[in-house]
Amino acid sequence: MQPVRRRIQFAMALSALATLCQFVVLGALAWMVRALLTETAPDPWPWLALAALGTVLFLVLRITAFNQSHYAAFRLETILRTRVAEYAARVSMGEVQRLGSGALAKVMQDDVNALHVFVADSTPLFARAAVAPLASLALMFALDWRLALAALGVVLAGLAVLSLAMRDRTEMVRRYNEAREQVSAAVVEFVQAMPVVRTFDTGQSTFGRYQRALDSYLDVLLRWYAGAAFSARFGMAAMSALPTLAVLLAMGGWQFQAGRLDFGTWLAVLLLGAGVAEAMLPLMTLMHLVDKTMLSVRRIQQVLELPVLPQPTAAQERAPADASVRFEHVSFSYGADAAEPALADVSFCAAQGTVTALVGPSGAGKTTVARLIPRFWDVNAGRVLVGGVDVRDMSADTLMRHVAFVFQDTFLFASSIADNIRLGLPETTMDEVVAAATAAQAHEFISALPRGYDTPAGERGVFLSGGQRQRITIARAILQNRPILVLDEATAFADPENEAALVQALSALMRGKTVLMVAHRLATIRDADQILVFERGRLAESGTHEALLAGQGVYERLWAGYERAQHWTLHTKALA
Amino acid sequence: MSTATIVHATPLATWRQLLQRLLRSTGGEAQALRASLAGLAAAAAVQGLALACVFPMLAALAGTANREPDGAAASRWLLAFVALALIASALRWRAQGFDFHGHMARATHALRTRLGAQLRRMPLETIQDKRAGELNAALLGNVDENFNYTLTVVNLIAQVLVMPPVLALALLTVDWRLGLALLLIYPPIVVLYRWRRPYQARGMRALEDAHRRANADIVEYAQGLPVLRAARCEGEKAVALQASFAQVERVQTIGQRKAAGPKMIFASVVELGLLATAAAGAGWVAAGTLEPALLAAWLVVLVRFSEPLANFLSYTNIVELVEAALDRIEALLAVPPLPQREPAHMPAAFSVRFEDVCFHYAGQDAARDAPVLADFSVDLPERGMTALVGPSGSGKTTITRLLMRHADPQAGRILIGGIDLREMTPDVLNGLVSTVFQDVYLFDDTVIANIRMARPDAGDEAVREAARAAQCLDFIERLPQGWDTRLGDIGARLSGGERQRISIARALLKDAPIVILDEPTAALDTESELAVQRAIDALVESRTVIVIAHRLSTIAAADRILVIDGGRLVQQGRHDELLAREGRYRAMWAAQQRAKAWHVRQAALAEQ
Repeated sequence: MQPVRRRIQFAMALSALATLCQFVVLGALAWMVRALLTETAPDPWPWLALAALGTVLFLVLRITAFNQSHYAAFRLETILRTRVAEYAARVSMGEVQRLGSGALAKVMQDDVNALHVFVADSTPLFARAAVAPLASLALMFALDWRLALAALGVVLAGLAVLSLAMRDRTEMVRRYNEAREQVSAAVVEFVQAMPVVRTFDTGQSTFGRYQRALDSYLDVLLRWYAGAAFSARFGMAAMSALPTLAVLLAMGGWQFQAGRLDFGTWLAVLLLGAGVAEAMLPLMTLMHLVDKTMLSVRRIQQVLELPVLPQPTAAQERAPADASVRFEHVSFSYGADAAEPALADVSFCAAQGTVTALVGPSGAGKTTVARLIPRFWDVNAGRVLVGGVDVRDMSADTLMRHVAFVFQDTFLFASSIADNIRLGLPETTMDEVVAAATAAQAHEFISALPRGYDTPAGERGVFLSGGQRQRITIARAILQNRPILVLDEATAFADPENEAALVQALSALMRGKTVLMVAHRLATIRDADQILVFERGRLAESGTHEALLAGQGVYERLWAGYERAQHWTLHTKALA
Repeated sequence: MSTATIVHATPLATWRQLLQRLLRSTGGEAQALRASLAGLAAAAAVQGLALACVFPMLAALAGTANREPDGAAASRWLLAFVALALIASALRWRAQGFDFHGHMARATHALRTRLGAQLRRMPLETIQDKRAGELNAALLGNVDENFNYTLTVVNLIAQVLVMPPVLALALLTVDWRLGLALLLIYPPIVVLYRWRRPYQARGMRALEDAHRRANADIVEYAQGLPVLRAARCEGEKAVALQASFAQVERVQTIGQRKAAGPKMIFASVVELGLLATAAAGAGWVAAGTLEPALLAAWLVVLVRFSEPLANFLSYTNIVELVEAALDRIEALLAVPPLPQREPAHMPAAFSVRFEDVCFHYAGQDAARDAPVLADFSVDLPERGMTALVGPSGSGKTTITRLLMRHADPQAGRILIGGIDLREMTPDVLNGLVSTVFQDVYLFDDTVIANIRMARPDAGDEAVREAARAAQCLDFIERLPQGWDTRLGDIGARLSGGERQRISIARALLKDAPIVILDEPTAALDTESELAVQRAIDALVESRTVIVIAHRLSTIAAADRILVIDGGRLVQQGRHDELLAREGRYRAMWAAQQRAKAWHVRQAALAEQ
């Protein structure tokens, strides 16, 4: 709330002032009646004028207070969302993935929204709920302490019961939020995985995971309501105006009859007192909101407390000298619980302008190497150098200026295909986009789409085939034109004719670059300047294709397997 | 259209419609909700009567010049006040049971379940058209909005619309002028409300749209973060995200600013109107036609409802919220599922037949765009392997999607075992087809649960067997908690090949008579590819298999190869037959042989 604190305080002060104006109105009315009762030639008009003035002032102040708090809330919403988005981009990808994109999205949507609701509507109410009972009780004590005590008694009784209702609320709120989060995650999953859900999750009556999340949410809700059923309702009934009014009418009537209270004072107490309890009722609901908000605040903080990848200061920062990539005794594991490290003491050097291939069975660490270069994670030991500079000694921006990536997981945004290609380079002209797409062998199919380059790519690019999506990401990398290129199984989804196209696209992309590529099709990398063979996180062998074949090691085994796979065919009957 | 009717109809009439829609959306809890709302209205009415008792009570106590104070009468009226107040509280207590006895929670739950079932029934095409974030908001946000505020708002509105009129009617018997004065407040309220309502509705919808867009952008940002980081447009540089945040703030600010004036006018009319009645009362007292005690009582009750009355517009704003939510829920529920023809049949055989199938995706212009499939006919006998080959976007994946009935073709029909897909229940069809999708989707659950979801009753041994056949055992056992490792926590640690093998294990476990493989080995490394291929060999022995493969050598032994191009079947036959003929297949084969000979060196050297 820091960034908008001033404004909120202003709004609360206005709201408190507005409440005081209300008292002026009530007082004026009470004194008017008193004058009518006691004076022989009463003149009610000055009192009425005062009441009217007070009313107008009250309305203006209140509306201004709410306007201020709302503007503050709107601002806060934007600020916080931006901050979380910004922050998520600076922590390691590992942390982001552990958090999960669903949870991150929820923090940015719901938790920020909870804060918004609180700031917008509650802060003025808070000021009022605090000021109104205190001021009116003080006035009542000044008028008649017995009636004031009676009103206070009703309020305290109501509060006592309500606090029972609030007993385990922190725990309940936590459980509620947890269950709700599960529902949210289940919905995202349910929708995104719908083809899989339909094919595999056949239990019609219980559609599995979605239903389970809903069930546990219902369970939490029911228990919450059941727990609060009596005390909450009793509290609400006691805190309404009617019980206080009844007590004040009874006691006041008795005192009045006994001649210990004059009618005017009684009326003033009735006007002021009946509202005491009512004014506090919002305080109760507000407590609820405060709890919810605190949880949201905590979750926002949790994101903002994730360790960021340390960035060098401008003074420390060094620029890469060339386009080489070097690993020096790099060890890395995903989290402390990993059974074995993803990489152990890996050292190699990819000189500028050379092609380095990373091969090995899945899970051997090839992709990890590819992802340590853009610093999705930081190494546990050793260092990764780009152009002779430790990646930790350059800003993310500098690093990304030097390295481009084509990953096997091709994520397209729901914007147009053109915008997907020029992602991060908004000044790019349409001609340059087309040129990049042409070089990536994507121009032809894009032009054939109904709206050409303006066709929206759709969620997760559902209407484009894997090979087409891949070529769009290649076009993106071509446009970025960075000296170092990391390819992670870029040809996995190529179809026969398109494999040729993709190969051409990659050729265009790789021209003159330092290339590190993860590859399964060993034939493609046969001529690489160096082949790094990984096995279980270790660099088992390295060298050229010929040297490695002669070595009779892991690579030789992989190659033999590859040759066999090339001649294998799917069949339903044993080949005759 | 619906907004137009809202503008012209009277508020009460549209409220009645709204109430009916609300009751409909609560399903089985409608009766309870109706009772609860009636209870709230009754409570407000009784409360009005209770407040009316204040008048005779004060009058009796104060007495007048020619009437002695009457303590006994005052006590009787006080008792009446207390009794009525208790009745009002009891009625409200009962009505709130809708919340506290879990009716509301159950109604929300039932509605969410219904929406979920609807999502399952809707043509998949329609779902994939929307962004997950939007649906998420529609399902989660709306359902809660629908009900959470309902009772609170109805209670407040009853305080405005029921309590004062009842009080006014009762007052007519005490002093007709006061009763009439109170009733006179209402015409301006109705006029002002009708003036504001369309603006409120419009503002609410604009805000919703802005929020929906922001939500979708947030989900996309969270999911695409690695790409955004690589493209150097994360955080403040994420243009779309920033734009939608700015848009939300702009819509919010404009809405707030525009609403401030009318709110002020409304509250002034109400508050000053009520004050005017007090002034009139003072005048009557001064003129000697009204007892001062009655004016005092008037002030006491007036203070009770001046605030709810002045805030009426804020309450109705929440009504708009409920209405907007109902709109979206109803729109979603109104999407018709793919029609199911009666009587339903269960195929006895598992041959697959496409008859003159034409298809284009919704949103495509049938007149302008080429169809995705055009007059596509083919016969696939039971227990055979058919390969679909052709360039990206030629319609291969669409063929498999149609077979899974993600959408219906616009013309022609698709049959399994001679039965039209439209004559099968979705359950029957889903039970027949097992698929390895090109897009692997793993759930945030344990490894074993991800595989077992294909056949929930499968024993551990069967799951293990499927995993073994899909070559998953070695890497699963290396995971931190083995089979019980949650994939959400380590999703990043599994390679593409490992993820794909889990999805293959899932398909193997399902053991369906028809198997669709969309690029099953594309993301696999050589060693696991070989192993997985053996697993698939086992799978296809006794089943009807349709495989999409890009490497032609993989499918050279298929019983039938269908060459698809531009949504048409251009060639079919066995590998050697197709190679022997001039045509598309031979060209593709040649292209692929050339690509095979491509080496990275050429690419790197091409520059020099």
